[in-house]
Amino acid sequence: MNRFLIRYLLLSTVALLLSCTSAYRSLKPASVDIACANKMIPSSIATSWYQASIDVAKKHLSGLVLIKNMPDSSQRVVFTSEAGVTFFDFGFKRPGKFMVHSIIKKLNRRPVIKTLQKDFELMLGVPFARGGLQSWKTQEETFFGVIQEKETAYFITDKDCSSLRRLEMGTRQKRKVSIEIKGAGYPSADTLNITHYTFPLKIRLTRFQKNDSSQ
Amino acid sequence: MPNSFIVSNYFCLIRSCALTIGFIGFISISTYAQYPGYTSIQDIAVFKKQFAIESSKVMSISCDFSQEKTLTALTEKITSTGKFWFKRNNKLRLEYTKPFVYLIVMNGDKMLVRDNQKENRINVKSSKLFQQVNRIMIDCVQGNILDSKDFTTRVFENRTTFLLEMTPVSKTLREFFKTIVLTVDKKDYSAKSIAMNEPMGDITLIQFEHKKLNEPISDTVFTP
Repeated sequence: MNRFLIRYLLLSTVALLLSCTSAYRSLKPASVDIACANKMIPSSIATSWYQASIDVAKKHLSGLVLIKNMPDSSQRVVFTSEAGVTFFDFGFKRPGKFMVHSIIKKLNRRPVIKTLQKDFELMLGVPFARGGLQSWKTQEETFFGVIQEKETAYFITDKDCSSLRRLEMGTRQKRKVSIEIKGAGYPSADTLNITHYTFPLKIRLTRFQKNDSSQ
Repeated sequence: MPNSFIVSNYFCLIRSCALTIGFIGFISISTYAQYPGYTSIQDIAVFKKQFAIESSKVMSISCDFSQEKTLTALTEKITSTGKFWFKRNNKLRLEYTKPFVYLIVMNGDKMLVRDNQKENRINVKSSKLFQQVNRIMIDCVQGNILDSKDFTTRVFENRTTFLLEMTPVSKTLREFFKTIVLTVDKKDYSAKSIAMNEPMGDITLIQFEHKKLNEPISDTVFTP
């Protein structure tokens, strides 16, 4: 009985220690494969409409998201209800200029704006335009990352550089956000799944084509 | 207070607002500063009475709708289409079918909202906001909206149409709408269009087509 108890405690301790280690511990530094990076870097998203499905703290809401490339090379991200009311309109201009064009009062709080800003910047590939790309590898994947003040932004490909698997943002210790790309990839991603790991927020964006009459 | 808590709370508030705005938009009225071809109705009391009487004759509505949202600053438009059903008392179904799917069903105190991912069942009584929405909806469909304290209303007319310009009174509604303008067919007092004018200049215009009034609609259409 004591032997089982000791084994259980040992396994529990190992499991606890593993859970506390860095999400990026298994990454091995590698030289940057420029050809692969240029091929896979998420540089932009084409002007598109997405249906948004948001789960936050066991609540669910939905709406429409417009990503629009503007003539001055900036990008706008607008969130509206299905019935048409605009909730926010954000502007992004490289290399990292951000502007709130409009936002309703209930969302107009710094933590909310900051969270959405960082999510959309990662989705639009803003961190990667700043340069300073580094690379790491695991057995299955290649990580390309740009180290920022406190966090690192990654885009992650398979080991053969045949597909862009996801984007991530994390500190040295933990993964904070991932964006999974499904279907067609950049610049016309069919589905983008944004998952937060430090609090319960998931945003799923599914691209749809506008009716002809709205062109 | 942790950022995650704040973010979660504000998204939950938005969820309530999104539903609210959806309903108010559909049930209420629209607006422009000037209405060419329309003249102002001075005797609102007489119109109110007539509007309530004629609206009470509408027991059910089924129709198609088209919705055009104009994002003015971005010179971007999106048109969506779907179907609308109403049955007295207090049963409503709003179904967007193109280019995205979205469904709202309201039946008494119960509400169903379904998007392309999930479905939510809500008890209207659980929220003061939903109760307000419910009241506005009933007032509109039953022809009592002119008595509503949520809006101040001006009424105009031309040969075929009444135009009701509604200006929100409460801060909550004013944040979303500068005005809501409803046009009503003089022939049967049914809604022809709703224009929601937002403070930042965006406009959503909903037009109702192929209306069928007072035809039988199964209660299953409104199962929440």
